[in-house]
Amino acid sequence: MTLALFYIAGAIALAATGIALTRVNAIHALIYLVVSLLAVAFIFFLLGAPFAAVLEIVIYAGAIMVLFVFVIMMLNLGNRGTVVEQEMMNPSVWIIPSLLCLILLIELSLSIASLKSETNPIVVSAKEIGISLFGPYVLAVEIASMLLLAGLVAANHIGRRLSKMDQEKDEG
Amino acid sequence: MENLAAEQSILPVFVFFGAILLLVATMLGIASVLGERKQTKTTDLPYESGIIAVGSSQVRLSVDFFLIAIFFVIFDLETVFIFAWAIAFFELGWHGYLAVVVFILILTIALIYEWKSGALNWGVKSQTARKETS
Amino acid sequence: MSEANLPFIGAILLTVVGGAAVLTWFERRLLGIWQDRYGPNRLGPFGILQVAADMLKLLTKHDWIPPFADRFVFVIAPTAIVISMLMAFAVVPFGPDHYLIDMNVGLLFFLAMSSLAVYSVMLGGLASNNKYALLGGLRAAAQMVSYEVFMGLSLMGVVMLSGSFSLVDIVEAQQDGWYFIPQFLGLYVFIIAGIAESHRLPFDLPEAEHELTAGFHTEYGGMKFTMFMLGEYCGLILLSCMITTLFFGGWLGPFFPPLVWFALKTFGFVCFFILLRAAIPRPRYDQLMALGWTVMLPITLINLVATGAIALWMNQA
Repeated sequence: MTLALFYIAGAIALAATGIALTRVNAIHALIYLVVSLLAVAFIFFLLGAPFAAVLEIVIYAGAIMVLFVFVIMMLNLGNRGTVVEQEMMNPSVWIIPSLLCLILLIELSLSIASLKSETNPIVVSAKEIGISLFGPYVLAVEIASMLLLAGLVAANHIGRRLSKMDQEKDEG
Repeated sequence: MENLAAEQSILPVFVFFGAILLLVATMLGIASVLGERKQTKTTDLPYESGIIAVGSSQVRLSVDFFLIAIFFVIFDLETVFIFAWAIAFFELGWHGYLAVVVFILILTIALIYEWKSGALNWGVKSQTARKETS
Repeated sequence: MSEANLPFIGAILLTVVGGAAVLTWFERRLLGIWQDRYGPNRLGPFGILQVAADMLKLLTKHDWIPPFADRFVFVIAPTAIVISMLMAFAVVPFGPDHYLIDMNVGLLFFLAMSSLAVYSVMLGGLASNNKYALLGGLRAAAQMVSYEVFMGLSLMGVVMLSGSFSLVDIVEAQQDGWYFIPQFLGLYVFIIAGIAESHRLPFDLPEAEHELTAGFHTEYGGMKFTMFMLGEYCGLILLSCMITTLFFGGWLGPFFPPLVWFALKTFGFVCFFILLRAAIPRPRYDQLMALGWTVMLPITLINLVATGAIALWMNQA
């Protein structure tokens, strides 16, 4: 039963990502990407990582994808974006990167096949994550907060320049 | 692959999800069958309070919205670390408390920086900008 | 509740969706009483059949999809809020044995579902291809994401005291005292964030009639409009359920059976939210955003630091 659920969720994730790649309309692609992320979250849940599963929804589906939709709303290109996307569907654009990725995929599957992996995953509770995150890895947490602070400052400066340009355009 | 207890507990949620999907599909389905079909001169126009729409809907939008979205993503990531601390709060004790206070302090610096640079009070900012130019 | 319990699932859906439908009538009646007028009182006893009449009306409306809109997204958008809001009820413990699943990350599941609800307004506004809808959608999204940040943080005080994300554990940890006393700041922030998240009055600026017609759902009508409203009312019920569970001891209480206590408390909070609607005027949009980032977020952080220090100190003594 769990195995079947795992494969169904995996198939949904792959299919949704595939559809997302081939859409020319950015919003449609994003919706499929959200579906794919939800499927991945469910796989995390099945593999015994409920905390990671919920964070996958909160952070990726609920925050980063929201930012993407925000950007699309802000740009609001209408059909102009679709035209550009259509040109990207030209095989000459994507054939070489996909070939290279295919080689990587083969290598990856070979190395995974050679591993003798444990087939009994343990459930990692949120509490254990918290204990190790603020125990041995506390330095990483503080560094992450500094990194986020840096990201915030950078975003603020870029945004301020954009809004200044916006005002100048309004006046001129 | 997985212990049986976890497998059984997830099943009701699946059925619940299926029931919700069924409900939503039924609602939309019934409405599309029962709904009247009326086609008048103005049916297919965008609604703008009775005024005929001018121009396209592709209007220029304030960049402040974009800034808010970025701030949201960054602060949301920070809250996740606090989630991880809150759940193991008693186990971590004073050491964890100290760590999280430093973390929140850095977060507060970020907030104060944003505040002082005027990214948070946009209404006021655009008013002062207008005053300066006029 | 280990097996798929079909009657129970049906009961949850019927109660929530039916409750949301009756709430549309109940809200208008209650507002009528508070504003010294009648409200809908003609159909049936106390006008309750107004619900059925409204339902019939909405079902027979033209199921219109604008030719200038993005059809796929236009239909998906209103379903997103209904599905995510109803899914969140899967983790709500209505009684000691009456819950669908006792997830060990139940509280985070609720936050995850409410973070997905934002897609509904964004996609609805974007797909409509209408100026008002776009502005309303953008406003709604900015408001919802801003308040989402500390909605989660405001609940962490409860998690710290109970030591669990599981909602059943949280209720059982309140045997010695409900959390609204030690976590009054958390409750205050959660209520305000919750109203802003479900964009109800007084924070309904995304759909403010006087400036944006109907905001993100300007182009919606009939059943699709109903779904936006259904999602909003389900969100209101969900919010009341969560306040009951997290701060007011859930099903705990003397004399009555647990389910009755849960229903009574939830009903009380629903009435409270309707009273807020009747009593408080709308703020301006920039005031709303400034309030979130410069008042609510600092309060939440202070609450976290203070709760941590006091709880650790009391644990030592």
